[in-house]
Amino acid sequence: MNNLNQLGWLKYAVTHISDGFEDMRYRKSGSLKIAWTIIFLLFFSRIVQERLYGFQFRSSYDKTFSIIPYIASSFVIFFAWVIGNNAVSTFLDGEGSFKNIFIYSSYALVPYIAQSLINTLLSHFLIKDELVFMQALRITGIIWSAVLLFSAIKAVHRYTFMRTVASILLTIMAMFIMLFLLILFMALIQQMYLFISSLYTEISYRVRS
Amino acid sequence: MESYNYDKWGEAIPSQAGYTAERSVTGNELGAGALNSPSDIFYDENDCLFYIADTGNNRIIAVDSDFTHAVRIYDSFTLSDGSRTVLKSPTGVFASDYIYIADNENLRILVADKEGDVINEITKPDSVIYDSNKTFMPQKVIADKAGNIYAVMNNITTGSAVFAPDGSFTGFYGADSAAGIADITGGYIADMFVSDEKRARRSRNIPTGITNFDIDGDFIFTCTSSREDAVKKLNSAGNNIFSGKKLIFGDYTPMYDISQNRLMSSEIIDIDISEEGYINCLDRTAGRIFQYDKECSLLFISGGTGRQTGSFQQVSAIESADGNIYITDSMKNNVTIFAETDFGAVVHEAVKLYNDGYYEEALEPFQEVLKLDGGYRYAYKGVASALLRKGDYKNSMKYAELADDRNIYSKAFEGYRREFVRLNGGFIFSVLALLMLAVLFFRKFRRKRK
Repeated sequence: MNNLNQLGWLKYAVTHISDGFEDMRYRKSGSLKIAWTIIFLLFFSRIVQERLYGFQFRSSYDKTFSIIPYIASSFVIFFAWVIGNNAVSTFLDGEGSFKNIFIYSSYALVPYIAQSLINTLLSHFLIKDELVFMQALRITGIIWSAVLLFSAIKAVHRYTFMRTVASILLTIMAMFIMLFLLILFMALIQQMYLFISSLYTEISYRVRS
Repeated sequence: MESYNYDKWGEAIPSQAGYTAERSVTGNELGAGALNSPSDIFYDENDCLFYIADTGNNRIIAVDSDFTHAVRIYDSFTLSDGSRTVLKSPTGVFASDYIYIADNENLRILVADKEGDVINEITKPDSVIYDSNKTFMPQKVIADKAGNIYAVMNNITTGSAVFAPDGSFTGFYGADSAAGIADITGGYIADMFVSDEKRARRSRNIPTGITNFDIDGDFIFTCTSSREDAVKKLNSAGNNIFSGKKLIFGDYTPMYDISQNRLMSSEIIDIDISEEGYINCLDRTAGRIFQYDKECSLLFISGGTGRQTGSFQQVSAIESADGNIYITDSMKNNVTIFAETDFGAVVHEAVKLYNDGYYEEALEPFQEVLKLDGGYRYAYKGVASALLRKGDYKNSMKYAELADDRNIYSKAFEGYRREFVRLNGGFIFSVLALLMLAVLFFRKFRRKRK
């Protein structure tokens, strides 16, 4: 364990569900570079899963392409999770720093990302009757990631089991509140934009005439 | 009229017309005097006559099969005691051995022979099943081969009333199912919290009634004005064959009409099953005819609102005979005859072969269809099926993707994969085995060096 490099630590954390993150915290390990790579891979896998899937399983609306939903379902959701958890941890006596929550949470997503990339590849080799293999893989990946995420939060804040559950539930609530505020804010910005742009048109007409 | 169809994403795209309006016929041209809001038309195959319910003039007109002249006008009937009886706004007509008339404002169903002698007169049944508070207002009427009479009522939502051949009431048939139990209980809980005005505005939990029906062999097709299950195919037990298929009849999404500045969501008011088994649906809001095949795949959309021939102001009934479609308009007071175009004929030929299971024979007509209209989705499905049957898996996959049919694609892909493995399997597996050996060897080598 002593001579592990950063990639080795990633592998160690993902494969040791219960104490991988504990050891990581003890050794003060974890790389921001790898964490960013994972989040970009998450973004990438969302697109791949939607666009490059085998036609027998999914057809995509390929008249237009908008990147916004993919950004929302990867970066926005993930950072809402990290910020929400960091906020919640301040009044639940969590020890984890923002950086560590970010790193540990992203490490926990590796099985989920791997699942969606492998499934996308498999979807070009399997037929509809063999869907069950892909479903099994998918469910495994999701459960694995969920357990890892739980143990990541538990380790990063040095929580007990019950406290972790409370922290996760509160984090999800915090995410909802943040997304709600975000939507309100965007609506406000849009109103302001409309106001300023109509003001500009009015004035420019007056100036011209 | 601009004709359109739907592409694989459910978006309306321009398409070739399957039917074109040949002519419209008024009552004067038939020699029967002007029609007044005709509300039903029926074609009797046995004596090759059309029967039009001329509601406003209180009469039934029999017209010859070429639609050139009125053969007979029924405005009064002879009762069994020799006295005459007249109709009062007849809204439905059906003919087989007898003529069945929904004599709406006289509150009766009249069964008469073709000479005009009344055989039977059905009035409000004296039965516990029939709600005695409701008046008996038959709207449409049909009869099956055994002579059982089915009637749609204006004010009854529990299905169509069924009468035995002797005229006795036997019960209701084909009730539209109400909302599910979860919706009803959810609605009940929601009701406790909302104001009275809101409660009144909410959709009710009772089902919408049948608006019209047609009979085809052992099956009765009904249509309702509701959005879900707009068309149902009922077997003799009253079960819906189409249920659970999530079929859409009419426009996929409400269409915006620029000339009237309103959204038009389809409301199917009449249905007709042609001799070949095609389902013709008549949409009141847009005055359009939607034709489907037996499996409910959309074939053609024709008609529209307007003043010129081929468009309508207030459609009321649809009937088909010899490949033509006949539409009555209760505001223009005429009958419009739609004939199949060349494109329609090719599509019908292909679809008939396809539905009968002759996939390979259907290939050529489907390719012809694609030459005439490259956006016609059904044809891609047909070509994909034919190529799959022929074993041309690669092209079948291509066409299945264009048709957005994942089942055909999956089958074609299975064949393609099998062929690919048979041809290249040995090579692929030997390369894989070599790679695995190389990896094993490399690991051993590295461990030794440490």
